[in-house]
Amino acid sequence: MRASARLVVSLDSHGNSVVRVLRSQSPLTLVPARRVGPVALVHLVSSVTAPLGGDSLSLTVEVGPGASLELRGVAATLVLPGSSGEASSSLVRFFLEGSLRYLPEPTVVTRRANHTAVVEAELDGHAELLMREVLVLGRAGEAAGALSSSVRATRCGKPVLHQQLVVGDAFVDSSAAGLAGKRVVGTELVLDSVPRACGGGEWWSVVPLAAGGTLATALGDDVVTVTRVLDAI
Amino acid sequence: MLTALILADSRFPGGGHVHSGGLEEAAARGLVTDEPSLESFLRGRLAGAGLLAAGFAAAAARGEDLGVLDAELDARTPSPAQREASRAQGRGMLRAARRAWPSDRLALLPRDPHQPLVIGVLVGDAFEAALTCAYLAVSGPASAAVRLLGLDPFGVNAIVAALPVQDVATRACSELPALGSPALDLLAEAHLRREGVRLFGS
Repeated sequence: MRASARLVVSLDSHGNSVVRVLRSQSPLTLVPARRVGPVALVHLVSSVTAPLGGDSLSLTVEVGPGASLELRGVAATLVLPGSSGEASSSLVRFFLEGSLRYLPEPTVVTRRANHTAVVEAELDGHAELLMREVLVLGRAGEAAGALSSSVRATRCGKPVLHQQLVVGDAFVDSSAAGLAGKRVVGTELVLDSVPRACGGGEWWSVVPLAAGGTLATALGDDVVTVTRVLDAI
Repeated sequence: MLTALILADSRFPGGGHVHSGGLEEAAARGLVTDEPSLESFLRGRLAGAGLLAAGFAAAAARGEDLGVLDAELDARTPSPAQREASRAQGRGMLRAARRAWPSDRLALLPRDPHQPLVIGVLVGDAFEAALTCAYLAVSGPASAAVRLLGLDPFGVNAIVAALPVQDVATRACSELPALGSPALDLLAEAHLRREGVRLFGS
């Protein structure tokens, strides 16, 4: 299945963030909340089981100057293999002159899945981005399939964060220099001008990026432990 | 080729001997205790951090813009402890290099350059630079393991010799990787916070 969706949010003359363009294509279904205010809320609903092997999904989000958007998931994403054995892919692109909070639910990489996920965020000088990613290696008692998840964020064309996470190689996943045998990897990227306290513990850290912004990272055996760290920043 | 050999030599006075690439923290936590767990650590390190560093060494050797590469490597190194370890080793290597191989291109390196960029500029050949960088990504932690854990040097050397360093270097020549190493980043950050005696800077 090939699908693309597009969402554009801008600020109106009353200071409200309003959805100007909302183009869904199953399984990428965008559901705006019926409310008026400074922050627009849209849920991203997977209206068909996706991604399956062979799927190619693409979502583009634009947030205009002064506007704010919160884009949330509603359920965990199960990455599944298809009957054909083909790989699946997703591409999410953010063009930000305003503020975006992107909070999808966890992604579970099931056995034999083969998925490539790419997020590209282009920010201008004033844009703000908060973005969470939680990856779960397999359902309970299941080995993980193959997943490559990469994030590239730039501000005014300059790189701020570029990280690719590859899971599904049992040798690397179990290595203390790979994922240390942990089943859940979570990150939260915050790009704004607010100074934040940095710190860390055994398997988590909150650190300043070289080009501005903050990244929280947590490894754990379950989603609750990992999201608790991410919630704290 | 001789430059690559000198840079990869543990007797090269670039200050690399004070860095364990996360091995000291992993050993302190009991994650690496013997030869099998060391082999797992080194394979994971080579596949992630090793490929990343080798890719940037190859790109620098090809003559790509060093300021752009420096910013791109910063963006791929979210951990401040890892950035500082890379720049400290780059600084140490550059100090020795200015005497040994003076050249105009060294002046094009940013202040406190990341180590892979220094290796790329000095070696000049993409594959040799990538190979040097990939090898250094595992040889430092391997020798740290001998010192910290008292492992058999012959056994450790056999592990290093069997690692797919050449495959990683070949791959590093065809892409500018962005592989993250979340566990290594967390080990590096925790290492700096650790109280008490530390033998290694990273």
